[in-house]
Amino acid sequence: MESFLKTLTALMLGLAALGASAGGTDIQIQDPWVQAAPPNVKVVAAYLEIKNNGDKPQILTNASSPAFDEVGIHQSVMHGNMVHMEQLKELTIPPHASVVLNPGGLHLMLTGAKKPLNIGDQVPMTLTFHSGQKIEAKAIVRPGQTEGMEDHQHMNHSGHETHKH
Amino acid sequence: MKNQSGALTKKILALLLVIAVAVTAVIGWRLGKGTSVRPPAEIEDYLFWQAKDLTDFKLMGADSKTLGLNDLKGKWSFIFFGYTHCPDVCPLTLGILGKAFKLMEKDPAAFQEVQGIFISVDPKRDTPELLKEYVSYFNNKFTGVTGDAAQLDALARQMSALYTIHPKEPGKSEDSYLVSHNSTVFLVDPQGRLYGRFPPPQTPQEIAEVFLKTRTFYNERSKKRWNLF
Ligand SMILES: [Cu+2]
Repeated sequence: MESFLKTLTALMLGLAALGASAGGTDIQIQDPWVQAAPPNVKVVAAYLEIKNNGDKPQILTNASSPAFDEVGIHQSVMHGNMVHMEQLKELTIPPHASVVLNPGGLHLMLTGAKKPLNIGDQVPMTLTFHSGQKIEAKAIVRPGQTEGMEDHQHMNHSGHETHKH
Repeated sequence: MKNQSGALTKKILALLLVIAVAVTAVIGWRLGKGTSVRPPAEIEDYLFWQAKDLTDFKLMGADSKTLGLNDLKGKWSFIFFGYTHCPDVCPLTLGILGKAFKLMEKDPAAFQEVQGIFISVDPKRDTPELLKEYVSYFNNKFTGVTGDAAQLDALARQMSALYTIHPKEPGKSEDSYLVSHNSTVFLVDPQGRLYGRFPPPQTPQEIAEVFLKTRTFYNERSKKRWNLF
């Protein structure tokens, strides 16, 4: 019974992590997550997929989180073997398409953590689009690489290790 | 007459012997050359055409420890330049390297020889103590070090690992500047020579497999060297 409850809780947390508030919108947020970092780190990245099911382009103009001082739309760009980050003013999701933010490329950069994050924590975020539409999402904190980590916690994840961009 | 022909036979035999020895030596030398100098095709692209001797350097770690060229000797070192305020590529790469180390555990002798070194090119924000905590999160075989610009350049230049600290954007806090850095993982051999590199984007499987093959190649090659002399 206890394990059943645990499974149920895990399931519900999982659903909550999917997080999109659906109600009559063309925009869908999928699998929002925050790359787990050591407790002394104040800057982390969040990743997610933004789906636009509508006929018009959607433009992400702003993101914020009560758990951080600031959230920026960022992109890691490689020039040769040099990597640097660029701040984007906005991010356009074409109609009937989706944009995926993945490690090593597009990300939401969360700066000024108000408290240390632990694996499994949920980070509430608000994404604001050009249309004025606001979408709430809860990003779950998890390691990008699981087996390499020094036993913090074991969890399933959906293979973010082979991203190329 | 019988004696004479016996001497001739001996001479011919001796000559044949000399030829046989010479041919064997040439074949052996060519074989040795073929297998030892050229690495297997699947690792060739990761290795420097010629291993490059590094000159000494001094970087600062936690607990007043320093890291220099001697600390690289006797180990295979995986070196990565970055900074802890890097939310995307640095944790990604350290995570990949940490997982690669886990995969190397299947070869205990090799695993025993590896170490990871994270060099922060942002000494203003990254103290050695902070780096220690940071790197141990990813793998307990990682060491975090940093230094002033001259100390960093002493090693970074030898690896062509350029980095740039950008000015902060106007209106933002003093501590919000960004840093561009090389995202290659460098491989230094147990003699302290720059031996190979893993350019981005890397995967744990790639790093682990290429390293294990590289180490085998390296060990066989040094064995052959000993046979020759
Ligand atoms: Cu960023």
